[in-house]
Amino acid sequence: MNPPDEAALLDALRAIVDPEIGLNIVDLGLVYSAEVDNGIARVKMTLTTRGCPMHDSLVQGARAVLLEVPGVTEADVEVVWDPPWHPSMITEAGRAAVGLA
Amino acid sequence: MAVSSPTFAAPEAVRTAVPATARSRPVVSSGGASSALAPSVTLPLRFVITGVLALLAGLVLLAARPDILAAYHYNQYVVAATHLFVLGFVCTIVMGAMYQLVPVALETRLHSERTAKWQFAFHVIGVAGMVWMFWRWDLKQVGHFGSVVAMGVGLFAYNIGRTLWCVPRWNVVATGIASALFWLVCAVTAGLVVTAAKCTYDSVATLSPVNPLWAALKALQGTANFVNRFDALGVMHAHAHLGVVGFFVMMIVSVSYKLVPMFLLSDLQNERRARLGLWLLNAAVLGLFFTIALRSAWKLAFALLGAAAVTLYLVEMRAILRARRRRLIDWGLRHFVMALWLLGGATVLGVVLATSWLPVTERTVQLETVYAWLGIVGVVTFTILGFLYKIVPFIVWHHNYSHHVGRHKVPSLADLYSEPLQIAGFWLFLGGFALAAAGAGLMKEGWARAGVLVLLASLAVFGINLAGMLRHFFRPRLAPLVPAAKPVLSKP
Repeated sequence: MNPPDEAALLDALRAIVDPEIGLNIVDLGLVYSAEVDNGIARVKMTLTTRGCPMHDSLVQGARAVLLEVPGVTEADVEVVWDPPWHPSMITEAGRAAVGLA
Repeated sequence: MAVSSPTFAAPEAVRTAVPATARSRPVVSSGGASSALAPSVTLPLRFVITGVLALLAGLVLLAARPDILAAYHYNQYVVAATHLFVLGFVCTIVMGAMYQLVPVALETRLHSERTAKWQFAFHVIGVAGMVWMFWRWDLKQVGHFGSVVAMGVGLFAYNIGRTLWCVPRWNVVATGIASALFWLVCAVTAGLVVTAAKCTYDSVATLSPVNPLWAALKALQGTANFVNRFDALGVMHAHAHLGVVGFFVMMIVSVSYKLVPMFLLSDLQNERRARLGLWLLNAAVLGLFFTIALRSAWKLAFALLGAAAVTLYLVEMRAILRARRRRLIDWGLRHFVMALWLLGGATVLGVVLATSWLPVTERTVQLETVYAWLGIVGVVTFTILGFLYKIVPFIVWHHNYSHHVGRHKVPSLADLYSEPLQIAGFWLFLGGFALAAAGAGLMKEGWARAGVLVLLASLAVFGINLAGMLRHFFRPRLAPLVPAAKPVLSKP
């Protein structure tokens, strides 16, 4: 079996939806990087604001869906604040879908 | 991203690696950095539900006695109804919301949940007794129950004050909340002093000076003698401004600087302007208290200072709204935007009342009631209803669904209530508010009663939505998780 690639991880992470904005964390631009090394999925992500009340939920949810990707044996989700998230990081599709300027 | 609940941890603290053995059943607890800091779900909800019940009681009272609105306001029934609204409804909900919001707004944790629970008990007992005794005009008992309220407020101020003490980054929001707390304590103290001034202390003459009660009564008698040198109505109005402008408006201003940008994906546009507005508002509250109590002509100057502060705030809010990345303003925030318009109207009316331009007639004096209605039911209640549509869904969602993220498809916050009902509630509230205001201003009891009945209909609609949200505690709505390659969209 081929090891999962970045696209597979991002597809899995699209199942995690920010409950306030109504958009998944990938199209929201919260995921900065996703890679697999020897079965360990490593994701760097951020949140829309420091003190985000959804912090735990999104991080734990991301970890859970990564572990469901075939070929992933461990999941390492790191929250970073640099660069800080900005609405311009939202993808075009996501922007159109939730009515963002 | 949504509001409430403390949730900040250093990046290192949230770095997580799950061993392979956990793969078959990922351990996704609801605990963790943020959840450990959050107050339990029952704490803010008990305040919210109690506050909504007090609003219901207040509206029922006004529907039964519309003369409270449509007749001159200096009587025991107006005083009782006002305290039911401001302490029973507004204060209760604001306190519960602060326990939930202050930690998230300021990235810290609530100092003591246990203290908050004790405060709730003091508050409910004190307010219920106080309103009842105001209705009976038994001011001695008002003083006793007011002291119970004051003990609760003391616990609240201590708890939030200690929470502020731990704020990692002091900012304009923290300054505003600290200011609001200060004015709350001042307002309660002033209220107790006003009550003390209306009591008699005949027993001082019969008690022995060695009796510990004698010293306390003597001090109260001295306070009463001092306060009674001032105009009673002026002192009462000064006390009301401390509470409504100093606590409620100050709290709205400061918290909205954090929450509105958060909801609308925007930023504070000019921190200097925001800070200047807060200090001007503080100066205005201080000046208004003394000039209103003393019936000084200088109150116009401080009213204009307050108007300048409100103008700066509204300019900043307009800038935040214009810079938003979310085009659509949801109906929760539209409540708040309506409150901003009403804040502008209340400020203009306040300045007019501070002048001596209006002749003192039965009609013009009713404008004071309209001013209070605009402030308490317009500005503050619209803001509260709007933010409750943010706070309650988050509390419910966090408790019922946060630990299912990544394992099940969970509803979004907006899925927890009916937007059509929310819109209906908004228009009913606006219509009822305006009709009752007209009834108060024109001294028409029928209009006031009709307006209040429409407000009750609006509250019923809100109650249905609230019940719908709370139902998720008993019937969570979960669906199988379906990974998606395209944007997964919920109701925006």
